[in-house]
Amino acid sequence: MANAPTTFESPVVTDYSTRPTNASSDVTLTDESSTSKILIRAGSETAAAQQLGVPFGSARQSGTVLVSGQRPSEWLILGSAEETDAFVAALDLTGHVSVVDHTHSRALFKLSGVGSKGTLEKICGLDWDDAITPDGAVVSASVAKANCDIVRFDADEPGYLLACDRSFGQYLFDAILDAGDEFGINVG
Amino acid sequence: MLLVPCPNCGPRNSSDLHYVGEAQARPNPSEATPTEWREYLYMEDNPAGWLRENWYCRSGCRQFFTLERHTGSNEFRNPPMPGNKVGGKA
Amino acid sequence: MSASELGRLAAQSGEVIDRTSPIRFNWNGNSLTGFKGDTIASALMANGERIVSRSMKYHRPRGYMTADFWDPNGFVQVGDDPNVRSGHRLIEDGMTIEPQNVWPSLDRDIKAANGLVGRFLSAGFYYKTFIKPQKLWPAYERVLSTFAPGGKVDLDTPHRYHDKRYTHPDVVVAGGGPAGMAAAAAAAEVGANVLLVEHEHQLGGHLLWGSDADRAVAAELANRVSAAGVEVLTNTTLTGRYEDNWVGIVQRSHPLAVERLIKARAKILVVAPGLIERPYVFAGNDKPGVMLSGAVRRLVNMYGVKPGARAVVFTANAEGDAAAADLDRVGIDVARVVDARNGENVVSASGSSKSVKSVKLGDGSEVEADLLVTATGWTAPTSLLNMAGDRPVYDEGSARFYPSVTVDNVLSTGGISGDGSVDELVAHGEATGQLAAGRASVVKHRVQALTARSVPVAGPEPEWTADFRPELGRDDHPELFRSTTHGIVDFSEDVGSKDLVAAAKEGYDSVELLKRYTTATMGPAQGKLETVNTVAVLAEARGETIEQVGTTVWRPPYVPITLGGLAGRNFEPVRVSSIQPWHEANGVTPIIAGAWIRPEHYGNPADEVNNTRTNVGITDVTPLGKLDLQGPDVPKLLSQLYTNKWMKLPIGSVRYGLMCAEDGVVLDDGVTGRLGEEHYLMTTTSSGAASIWEWAENWLQTEHPEWQVHVTPVTTGYTSINVAGPKSRELVGRLVDDVDLSAEAFDYMRVRTGTVAGVENCIMWRIGFTGELSFELHVPSGYGLHVWETLMAEGADLGVKPFGLEAQRIMRLEKGHFIVGQDTDGLTQAPAVGMNALIKLDKEDFAGKAELAWAMESDQVPHVVAIQTVDPTIVPGEACQILKGTTNEIVGRITSSRMSPTLNRSVCLGQVDTAHAEAGTELTVLLRNGQRIKANVMSHHAHFDPEGERLRG
Repeated sequence: MANAPTTFESPVVTDYSTRPTNASSDVTLTDESSTSKILIRAGSETAAAQQLGVPFGSARQSGTVLVSGQRPSEWLILGSAEETDAFVAALDLTGHVSVVDHTHSRALFKLSGVGSKGTLEKICGLDWDDAITPDGAVVSASVAKANCDIVRFDADEPGYLLACDRSFGQYLFDAILDAGDEFGINVG
Repeated sequence: MLLVPCPNCGPRNSSDLHYVGEAQARPNPSEATPTEWREYLYMEDNPAGWLRENWYCRSGCRQFFTLERHTGSNEFRNPPMPGNKVGGKA
Repeated sequence: MSASELGRLAAQSGEVIDRTSPIRFNWNGNSLTGFKGDTIASALMANGERIVSRSMKYHRPRGYMTADFWDPNGFVQVGDDPNVRSGHRLIEDGMTIEPQNVWPSLDRDIKAANGLVGRFLSAGFYYKTFIKPQKLWPAYERVLSTFAPGGKVDLDTPHRYHDKRYTHPDVVVAGGGPAGMAAAAAAAEVGANVLLVEHEHQLGGHLLWGSDADRAVAAELANRVSAAGVEVLTNTTLTGRYEDNWVGIVQRSHPLAVERLIKARAKILVVAPGLIERPYVFAGNDKPGVMLSGAVRRLVNMYGVKPGARAVVFTANAEGDAAAADLDRVGIDVARVVDARNGENVVSASGSSKSVKSVKLGDGSEVEADLLVTATGWTAPTSLLNMAGDRPVYDEGSARFYPSVTVDNVLSTGGISGDGSVDELVAHGEATGQLAAGRASVVKHRVQALTARSVPVAGPEPEWTADFRPELGRDDHPELFRSTTHGIVDFSEDVGSKDLVAAAKEGYDSVELLKRYTTATMGPAQGKLETVNTVAVLAEARGETIEQVGTTVWRPPYVPITLGGLAGRNFEPVRVSSIQPWHEANGVTPIIAGAWIRPEHYGNPADEVNNTRTNVGITDVTPLGKLDLQGPDVPKLLSQLYTNKWMKLPIGSVRYGLMCAEDGVVLDDGVTGRLGEEHYLMTTTSSGAASIWEWAENWLQTEHPEWQVHVTPVTTGYTSINVAGPKSRELVGRLVDDVDLSAEAFDYMRVRTGTVAGVENCIMWRIGFTGELSFELHVPSGYGLHVWETLMAEGADLGVKPFGLEAQRIMRLEKGHFIVGQDTDGLTQAPAVGMNALIKLDKEDFAGKAELAWAMESDQVPHVVAIQTVDPTIVPGEACQILKGTTNEIVGRITSSRMSPTLNRSVCLGQVDTAHAEAGTELTVLLRNGQRIKANVMSHHAHFDPEGERLRG
């Protein structure tokens, strides 16, 4: 029987290892596509919706997984495969609740650093003001003409998680790099 | 660019949405006469004034909803709650 | 007097040039020197160059008139950049600048002969003269195009980077004069996030060419703006105001891009463009040396340029008086000040082709001068207010138009609102800035309250800030538009007052008609200089007042925008499957299908067909739309979307279905398989993937919100590989050990889930478009390339080869499978495709049911049929017409055609009317070369293996 695969194939296939690194950069783009992504759809009447506990438009961290309310009655769970599996296993799935593994459907990138807002402003028409899109905000929008689900996810610096259809992954990664060029964007 | 008040997301650029058409009730396909059905398919009131119309928030929440817009001033009123029944025409 | 009377003055206190930084540039073949900060215009005049262009129609020599962005005479070619505004563009080291619209040279222009026959080039001349005979138009066009104005476009110009950015400021201020700066600073000082856009290279507006005290105010305001944290963009123009304060801004000063297009959503827009000085209409008003007072003041005070040696100043206002004083101060002989306020007038200017030499006045006297300065009033550029719905109203007393309607989120300040001292303008600007900030905070509160993701806002919406600003005054000003003679009204279009009067007499006496007929106000100045004079001349011709005539509507853009600027950064999304790196490494010829890049073939599509029919082929069908359906009511949704029945599909089975829109037209087709009790996977066509998802959501959300179904797109979650051919079972069997692949256990139209090449959760179904025994594998995409490469490696001894879209299209055509959108079109109703058994009118409801019932009753729809040419070697092109017998009556068309490698003959699908749809009907096909050939309607859609024995194997 044929050998099992050893590594997850990211949609970002370009090798950036020879790309010059900008020492004074204040923005970094990282490919996080191998992150486990579980989509939960559950009506407001279900127990699962209560457990997920975060409304449309915002995200919260539950232990090490990120629970993102990305559409009404729809959540995306991000984390390692073990963590997301454990999270889903703990959900009460009675009633009309769907679970779809989106790990392979979506590319996932992290854009972080002081220049991340300036970079996003060049490719997305949304308002990234702190009052409108604060840390933990979730929004879907066209980014460089590819539809994305976006989570504002600050660590020490402002940052954003962007998920798009896997097939657009390489295109979007390059479009973000192009937009971030004036901020000296680096590949993480 | 027009700002459309998506009842879920909030104000969004109209390019983020898909304009579905005027809100009309779908006739029963087993009982409608050809005239009634084609009236539903092809005819629009197109008033100069308040109009109930269907939108789909394509780039945002992916919900269909009905909004009332003044075709002269582009003012919106009565953003409905999500899940409101709107016509099924596309 | 000669051109050398122009030149550089001693240093001026307000000059913006840096005399320690000389810059060398090339003009018209000569090397010249200017200073850093010079515009092309100031540098040329400092070098004694008076003539800069030839006029559009009559090729009259022209010099600078306004010496700023709006100068209609200053268009030049800079390198490969045509139509550069030389009154605005700064000189750079090594710049090559050429005059435009001259032949053979600026000094000796043969086309100036146009001027001699000028009376034939009146309004509408081209329309009237060249309209007939129409067949001669190409010849006319060739000749006329050499007369067309404008620079040269170099098709080899390298692509330059244009950038784009979005922004959402609280307040956007258009115009950085005293009022605009004060508004921006005042708004930012109370906490608003402000973007200040200034068209020119420096903040300050008219203060820059005023007194030292004026400049001190400007500097102080600029400091305030900067201290308040306002984002300032100079050499940037706000080009348009659209719905809900969406404004377009073109930034020409970005360090990394030629231009940057900024799309801003302003909560409040403050319009403060100042005023634009108006030329005066009289004989000879386009002679080089006739300049507006603002031009002279800018040249003298900002650039230290001597605009002439001996001047006549025609003044109706303080600005004209100040121009006379400026000239006197720098030692230029002011031969005469002609004061319009005392009823004095200028009648004509005459001289050589190079310069004004004398000026004739209203009292009959003539004064020798090489510079005639006019100060006859202003035009309020209310364009941005017009775009917000304002219609300007004329005020006789101050001889200009004013805004009439106020829009809640658009405020105006400065010169377009009224007159005042610098202090009064600043005070009005500050009040406007505070008002703007107050209103912006209300808008922000509203947006934040409505936006799901925002920080929640406390309390009720603040009250809308009322407008309590003191009004600016209106200074008296004589109405001065045209003298007792006729002259040029629109300098960039070469339209004179005589032309306007003549056009009005011909009946083009509404201002909007006059504009289009004569092209007055339609040139690059876009009415900024000539609109009011146009209206005034028309009013005179009609014997009415300016108010009665009204004005034209100013539409976006405020200034012409380059195509590169409009395009901004170009986003062209590209989609690829996870196998794309393999395709690229293995000689693929790609094809673009929507946003997808897909394998068209790998060298020879016919070989790919033969190998698949003989051995086994694999093809990447990832773009195939895939929707995950879950919930107890999935069968109801399927029954609603498809024309056939779905309530009893067993688990593990796959069924084909046809989807129609509500008008009965075929929308999509595909198969849906039942994976579990309440779990289904639907496939759609590649192009229908997005729209069918929306279509399903529409039914669920609007007509049947009570149905419990979740539709989730998983198109690229799976890499889809079709393994087809007689040896496909053997090949797939080498990769799968947890599913029984035998014909008995896994027969045609069944679905199984299992592990493929060690990849779990793969979906396999026994279907195929090719007509061969085939397995469609849907593999989680993170391992798609692995499975593909494993298939290639494990199948080497079986002769496995990849096949592309072209081979797939040939095989499907051999099998007679139609493609939605290729063999059907926007009018093809479902009964046309020959699957009436799949249209179940006894269902209570489904999309398209009503129209399908009527269509089946009438039988008037076209029919999709298989067609074979009598001569098997002829492949009629797709879209070739099918004619009735020997007539020219069209009864159908070829929709798909290929040479079949399997049958070694041409095979087609086509649409024909009912009368020609019967099997055995002889058809006439009109080839593209005009030849008529014979063809026959076949009895079955499938040209090959009509019984389907191969695919069921």
